[in-house]
Amino acid sequence: MVTDQDPRAADVGQPQGLPAIDVVDLVKHYQARDGSVVRAVDGVSFNVHRGETVGLLGANGAGKTTLLRMLVTLLKPTSGTASVDGVDIREDPLGVRRRIGYVSATTGVPDRLTPRETLISYGRLHGIPTAELEASVERLVGALGMTSYADRPSGRLSSGQRQRVSLGRALVHEPPVLVFDEPTAAVDLLGSRELLDLLAQLRSEGRAILLSTHRLHEIERRCDRFVIMHAGRIVARGTREELLEPSEDSIEDAFYRAVAS
Amino acid sequence: MAAVDAADARGRHAEDQPVVSLLTSAVTIAEFQLRRMLTRSRLAVAAIGILFPAAVVAAVGRTAGFPIERDLAALLIYALVPEAVCVLALLVTMCPVVADELERGTWIHVAVRPNGRRAMILGTFAAAVIWTVSVGTLALIPAVLVSGTEEPMRVFSVMLGLIVLSAAGRGALFALPAVIVPKRAMVASVGLALVVEYLAGLLPAVINQATVSLRLRSLLVEGMGWRRRLPAEVQLLIDTQPPSVQVLAVLVLVTLLLGLAVVIAERRQFPPSEEI
Repeated sequence: MVTDQDPRAADVGQPQGLPAIDVVDLVKHYQARDGSVVRAVDGVSFNVHRGETVGLLGANGAGKTTLLRMLVTLLKPTSGTASVDGVDIREDPLGVRRRIGYVSATTGVPDRLTPRETLISYGRLHGIPTAELEASVERLVGALGMTSYADRPSGRLSSGQRQRVSLGRALVHEPPVLVFDEPTAAVDLLGSRELLDLLAQLRSEGRAILLSTHRLHEIERRCDRFVIMHAGRIVARGTREELLEPSEDSIEDAFYRAVAS
Repeated sequence: MAAVDAADARGRHAEDQPVVSLLTSAVTIAEFQLRRMLTRSRLAVAAIGILFPAAVVAAVGRTAGFPIERDLAALLIYALVPEAVCVLALLVTMCPVVADELERGTWIHVAVRPNGRRAMILGTFAAAVIWTVSVGTLALIPAVLVSGTEEPMRVFSVMLGLIVLSAAGRGALFALPAVIVPKRAMVASVGLALVVEYLAGLLPAVINQATVSLRLRSLLVEGMGWRRRLPAEVQLLIDTQPPSVQVLAVLVLVTLLLGLAVVIAERRQFPPSEEI
């Protein structure tokens, strides 16, 4: 297992070429109400290449969500930086927003809008011309299997169907980089599997995918590499094979060992 | 890499036509917010707002006698509609612009779009103004009719103009607490209305130049032809510039306040615990 302190860290298991997500010594500190400083993310560096899925693992409070929200420009780093598709998150947040798709556990899909209306509404926030947007939405409705409920108000959809709408919303501007924060947390087993199959398809299209989850068993064989966070720092990283000790047979074992150490 | 190429092309489109892109986004948000406002509970509250001024005018008429004298009717309707009804309608439409999105977990999905945050402020402002002007106008009609006042068309047209300016001016004013303290926006807006609009606005000092209430009062006085009849001490509470200057002043205020609200919204960060 390789940690951040290891000089080999930057090279472990990585494909060659320019990364689609490049995180360099990223730090986010919060001021707590009692005046103390909370080090939510504390000097994190890693990258994700196109056509690659990287699993971001960590317990609650490890700093995963804060890290992802800095990447999608919802939060500003205290120090360090990151780039998305070559665009710096500090210098050009609008450029980053054009290149990134974001899916969270809470779908936040408007109940009153139908899936089709939701995709069109969010697509307009990217300034996509109407004809092009409508064609793109039709493609997504078909590709994500939403045809049967595309015109039903989202308030009447199941959690799995709503998560598909959320995925469609993240894809409506066809971003090359996708960030998923616990996308299967509120979805049943079947819905979760379908969603992860869609992710595999997106990866095969050449998109870079950063996926945060608690459900380690679900993504064990679906991620090319893993980054394990604990208390705001990366405690281990690598491919499944690199992370597992000979006595271990699941990424869960490697995760527990990394966090415990 | 079709996805990458498509994203680049779309990014260029938005960059080439930023104003068109922002307007389209703001219109989208405005449509969405108007749909959200059309709930039974909101419509029931709006109906109360529409009937309330007419009921008060009727009550005053029963005491003072019908038809209500023109000046009294105008003063009464001004206090009830462009002031009370408009401020109340804006409190429930403009103030929750960020807080509602945070509660529904939609803010993060809007905020990660290039035009998301600014369109959210501008689109919600547009929806709030449309809603407030509609409610205000519907409240104005029965209030004027019930008063039985002479020159009803004059009273109506003056009040309609004041409703539009009140909605725009106060809507922009309430956008500030909505982005600065989203979870306390309504309380902060009431405080802001009392301190800025109704306290500072009544001070015969330079500070009242920056309030919407001074402009509305001045336009009311001008529109109803009261200027020459006003006592000297009341003259201090109005501005003697022509109506076009008053309207321009409100438009400048709206631009400045909305611009500031957009800048703050663009920079605003919420920890994950607040951004669901």
